[in-house]
Amino acid sequence: MPYKIITILFIFSSIISTSVYSQTLVDKVHEHQLANGATVLLVERHDSPTVAAYISFKVGGVNETSQERGVAHLLEHMLFKGTKTLGTKNYAAEEKMLEKINAVGQQIDFTKNQPNADPEELQQLSDQLTVLQTEHRELVVKNEFSKIYAENGGVGYNAYTGKDSTTYLINLPANKLELWAAIESDRLENAVFREFYTERDVVHEERRRSYESSPDGLMYETLLATAYKVHPYRNPVIGWNSDIENLNPDKIRNFFDKYYTPVNMVITLVGDFDSEATLQMVDRYFGRLKPGVPVPPVVDREPEQKGERRVTIDFDAEQQLMIAYHKPSMPHRDDYIFDLLMQVLCEGRTSRLYKSLVVEKQLVTDVNVFTAPGSRYDNLMILSMTPRFSCSCADIETAVYAELDRLKSEPLSAEELSIARKQIMTSILRGLKGNSGLARMLSSYQTLGDWRYLVDYEEQLNSISAADIMDVAKRYLRADNRTVVTLIRGEEI
Amino acid sequence: MRYFIYSLVLFLLCGCSQVSPSKQVRPDELSFPPLEFSFPTVSQQQLTNGMRLYLKEDHELPLVELTLLVEGGSIYDPLDQAGLSQFFARTLSTGGTEALSPQMLETELEAMAAILTVSSSSYGYEINLSLNQQDLKRGIEILADLLQRPRFDPQRMELVRTQMLEAIHRKNDDPGAIAGRLLGRAVYPGHPFGTESTAEIVAGFTRDDLLALHQHYFQLQNFWLAVSGDVQQAELVSLLEQEFEQKHVTEKLHLELPLLPPAPAGKILLADKEIPQTTVLMGHPGISKDNPDVFALRVTNYILGGGGFNSRMMREVRSDRGLAYSVYSYFQVGRQLPEMFIVGSETKSQSTGEVVTLLRQLIRQIRNEPVSAAELELAQKSLINSFVFAFANSHSVVNRKVRLDYYDYPKDYLETYRQRVAAVTIADVQRVARQYLHPDDLQIVLVGNSQLYIDEIKTLGLPVENVDLQSTQ
Repeated sequence: MPYKIITILFIFSSIISTSVYSQTLVDKVHEHQLANGATVLLVERHDSPTVAAYISFKVGGVNETSQERGVAHLLEHMLFKGTKTLGTKNYAAEEKMLEKINAVGQQIDFTKNQPNADPEELQQLSDQLTVLQTEHRELVVKNEFSKIYAENGGVGYNAYTGKDSTTYLINLPANKLELWAAIESDRLENAVFREFYTERDVVHEERRRSYESSPDGLMYETLLATAYKVHPYRNPVIGWNSDIENLNPDKIRNFFDKYYTPVNMVITLVGDFDSEATLQMVDRYFGRLKPGVPVPPVVDREPEQKGERRVTIDFDAEQQLMIAYHKPSMPHRDDYIFDLLMQVLCEGRTSRLYKSLVVEKQLVTDVNVFTAPGSRYDNLMILSMTPRFSCSCADIETAVYAELDRLKSEPLSAEELSIARKQIMTSILRGLKGNSGLARMLSSYQTLGDWRYLVDYEEQLNSISAADIMDVAKRYLRADNRTVVTLIRGEEI
Repeated sequence: MRYFIYSLVLFLLCGCSQVSPSKQVRPDELSFPPLEFSFPTVSQQQLTNGMRLYLKEDHELPLVELTLLVEGGSIYDPLDQAGLSQFFARTLSTGGTEALSPQMLETELEAMAAILTVSSSSYGYEINLSLNQQDLKRGIEILADLLQRPRFDPQRMELVRTQMLEAIHRKNDDPGAIAGRLLGRAVYPGHPFGTESTAEIVAGFTRDDLLALHQHYFQLQNFWLAVSGDVQQAELVSLLEQEFEQKHVTEKLHLELPLLPPAPAGKILLADKEIPQTTVLMGHPGISKDNPDVFALRVTNYILGGGGFNSRMMREVRSDRGLAYSVYSYFQVGRQLPEMFIVGSETKSQSTGEVVTLLRQLIRQIRNEPVSAAELELAQKSLINSFVFAFANSHSVVNRKVRLDYYDYPKDYLETYRQRVAAVTIADVQRVARQYLHPDDLQIVLVGNSQLYIDEIKTLGLPVENVDLQSTQ
């Protein structure tokens, strides 16, 4: 999921009037570690009788091997299917049925990959699977997690899988917090991956919807696969089609058992509760889980790009343009410098690219910047543009590069720097509104390292000079470090 | 330290023997304390200059949020000027003031890290301004200047025109957008709800159109302002009364709503796009907020397709058959005129016919058979117990209060919401399903590779129409 990291960044200090508040917030975050290694972050907020509950794991698409791409995401779907006691009418009977279903499913996957696969045999197996699935449905209590949360007033019950992490979230009325602990600890301990082959089809539909039928999704996916050759950031979290087609319940189980354990887990609760009692309750439910082993770091390293990469996509839509540059990610000092650089370059109507491309030259009707695809390993700064129909991508690129060259040759004024800092800080403050916003932010940064990393952010930002920005622009915004993707209708290529 | 020892013991136990599922607490074995909840208070008053102010002070963050509703909106755009209200909103927000050029205005707002947006919707204009608390005074001065003395700078007006023309040029890029446009047109022919702007119309908008629109609608007695955040009431009121000056009292606006066309007969519209998945969107005329059955329909729709994973559509189409990632239904409860009942999904080309058939069957089923007591209970509990989230954020609290008054909802709407949901019976559900759901009258829009499903679609017993996306405006 491409999202702009700086919009959810860094709350804890500020050059404006937020310092007092920031200190209060630092005091408000209570961090604990359970004996099994799970990290728990608690923030009491008593304005509304609600709680936002997030559980994040330090594992995502980037930790998959080439034999199991897409497994983290499909696992996320499967973790909504229930446990040995929830989602079933009779687990003992169901368990046997699931074994049969999985055996037929795996036979189908094996057969379909044979060079001379017999279509008749495949059809027979597929019919057999349908019969078993229909029979199995009789034993299932449909979507019982969802039902229990809903009848207790839960909202926003969801999960998201990224390159670097996976998060499960719900907002509940404050008096129902123990319900969350009971359900979530049960799903970590006793998850049952029922209805797997149907859900695999659902993920296919999700892929068609988000990537294959969407010009934006298709461009983003192509950009990553072009800019990265080696590092797994090149792969879509959802997996390529052939990946999805060959995932099976065993792969899901192995991945789950290996990584979804307390040492890789961050629990974040923000809302109307008493911290001490809540911590005891969390410990009572989650403390009994086995610690597990930490997710190993990805060892693949992207070689330095040696020359510009270009790709054109043929799709039934008007032309679009993306330009990306490799850059380091947090906590590298250059990443802080990029935060300021991107703000000056492309945030708001007075930013350099908006003024030049949209207002003055009128080559595009919109321009955006964001970093992607993750924040744990070196990532990309991506510029995305909507060209006017009468303008060529070549002219747009020329105008973009002229602005990037200005960053290399002319120092920013003190005023520009100070405004950019204020804008970043204010957008962070806005991100704090609501329990869910704060929970999401704490959870994200703790999962990437340590939420306290944020505390010295102001100092970092304030220490950046105009010369630093020129230096970073010169080192990274080079032709041989960029990838350019255009999307256009076939007949117009 | 206490926690550490306690959990260590537990961990060792786990290490010795597998925890059996029987030790797992089932959620239905838990009991919960009652939820303490009171309706948050919103201060409201009419200022001496005629504006209405709704305020919820919230001093947690040093920020102030302002949302201003101004009477008017896209429903009053003449058909041959479709899109004018949008053109107006965008030029207003970017075109500067008499005193400040567009460039000066933007520079000053961005130096304060303020965010200003203006948009138009069916029944109003909405202006949002987000400020750091210490910029409140200057922020309100700028807002007052903009709303009372807009410049509509000609160059910026041309820039907005360019952006709107580009959006029209790109209207066939996204299958969901195509489907939405075609559905509106099919259900509301000749009405503002179903009329989109065209390049010709956008080319014809003038600055005089904008001035006239501003003069007509932007009078202080048509201003409904919602404010939340780190602000003191007395200071805010005095600022607003000082900066917004009522020049003359104009008459209350008498706005005529354009009559809705009669409901069209059911049909299928096919639009071709080379994609591997079909966007399915269907709809027919629905209800407005004044309909006495609005709560029964909310419950009914939860069971049918509004309750996410707890709805029948999600269960049948996604969970049981794996035919879609997203499938839903909803009533766009019209604020004044009735709006649509809508059903949507996306499925691979090959299963298009199956999904359309299934969705229509599910609508028929909820008309023909009573829902179960368990389904009714789940829908009611979910709607009632999640009600507390309507008040979780102070700006949404004050904004909602403005809207309830602006659209003239019953005074006790929020206070009686939960009782009215709880009062819905199984018989009510069936009665309103029969009265308001009409599977044979749906306009069914399918955007995708129609060659792969046209034969099956033709067997559904509804007229089939091909829409040429290239030639249509």
